[in-house]
Amino acid sequence: MRDGDRDDLEFHRRLSEGDRGAFDELYRRYAGAAYGLAYRVTGQQILAQDVVHDAFMALWRTPEAFDPARGPFRTFFLALVHHRAVDLVRRESRLRARSERAANLEPLVGEDPADAIAEESYLGVRRKEVREALASLPSEQRQVLEMAYFGGKTQVQIAEELGIPLGTVKTRTFAAMRKLRAALEEIS
Amino acid sequence: MIDRHGETQELLAGYVLQSLSSEDAAEADRLLTEHVPGCSECRMMLDAFQAVTGELSLDADPVRPPDPLLPRIHREMEPRGRWGARSTPGRLVAAVASVALVVGVGGLALAQHGGPSTPQVPTADVQELADYVIQHHPIQQQPLGGNAQELSAPGVQELFVYGRGVPFPGPGLVYRLWAVSRHHATHLHDFLPYPDGTVLVRLAVDPSSFDHLLVTVEPAGSQPSEPGDPAWPEAG
Ligand SMILES: [Zn+2]
Repeated sequence: MRDGDRDDLEFHRRLSEGDRGAFDELYRRYAGAAYGLAYRVTGQQILAQDVVHDAFMALWRTPEAFDPARGPFRTFFLALVHHRAVDLVRRESRLRARSERAANLEPLVGEDPADAIAEESYLGVRRKEVREALASLPSEQRQVLEMAYFGGKTQVQIAEELGIPLGTVKTRTFAAMRKLRAALEEIS
Repeated sequence: MIDRHGETQELLAGYVLQSLSSEDAAEADRLLTEHVPGCSECRMMLDAFQAVTGELSLDADPVRPPDPLLPRIHREMEPRGRWGARSTPGRLVAAVASVALVVGVGGLALAQHGGPSTPQVPTADVQELADYVIQHHPIQQQPLGGNAQELSAPGVQELFVYGRGVPFPGPGLVYRLWAVSRHHATHLHDFLPYPDGTVLVRLAVDPSSFDHLLVTVEPAGSQPSEPGDPAWPEAG
């Protein structure tokens, strides 16, 4: 286990006992990653804020949803953020007819370095590894994965957009997930 | 011979990404309650895929959230509202509401969702629905044990099982939902929480056919004949 993950476990344990300081520490560690993810998925700052708000509130109210036996806190929490972001995007897209969300978003608030965040080094290291693993995927696998994960699209939507059979989308997604898993395990 | 694990795991990959469409989602739901809990290989793969979805998030550049966000969260960290249970763990809400009611709620339009059992109903919809029902309608509440509540409103036609922070019932086990009337219990549905603790199930149920709901913990894939142990001990 990485040091960063071990520290998270301790913060989570204290948070479960109602320790607000531990909550703040987890916020300090993950708010930037969570907000960056939520913004990339939702494409809107106001929605991204709601997602991050809801995810941290859920963490505070029901900390026992995290089971340390099933993986590190980091992946649990960021998966939760992703889950909520996709939820929100789907809902928004039904509530109003949304124009195509930009696949490649503009930088959030100009290039103001004050908006860049100083990230815990262990997260930065992992980020580099994840990008390395993603880059190792065949481009057609990476494409379906990104459309699903960051685009919040269903497999049926992806098949329609790319003009390929649904079965192919499923196969590529599965292959991509397996390769990523193997690559990430190998790197770490 | 179909490779059951391979087929299951292909669905699980789409499931953790929340990218399954309603038909596949229903099949994933079935496999998640009937096959996965008892299959260590598929369970391991589910956890591994879930971890990958957490890791993938790091491909997005980190961005500092607006400064007022943390103070806003701090203010809300106090127990508040009439749902005092919100600050306590393991709550599960079975919210019962009519389609007609839902369609009338600010365009929530839950009726547009597919299938009689749609596991991937967006969380936000159901939460909003539950809040709306509580605020605007004469509802009856019945404790289901633990922090779980059954909410019912007049004109009920549909049953939503909604929960957050619901713990996994343990290897080889699933939650089982029963409609209990005076003389017998009818099996409605088996379910597991999403890996992040969210539960969301939607069922078409005639509310006049039962007295109350019951959630038990049962071995996955077992014959639903008699209700076993309640999932949550009686409150208080
Ligand atoms: Zn299996």
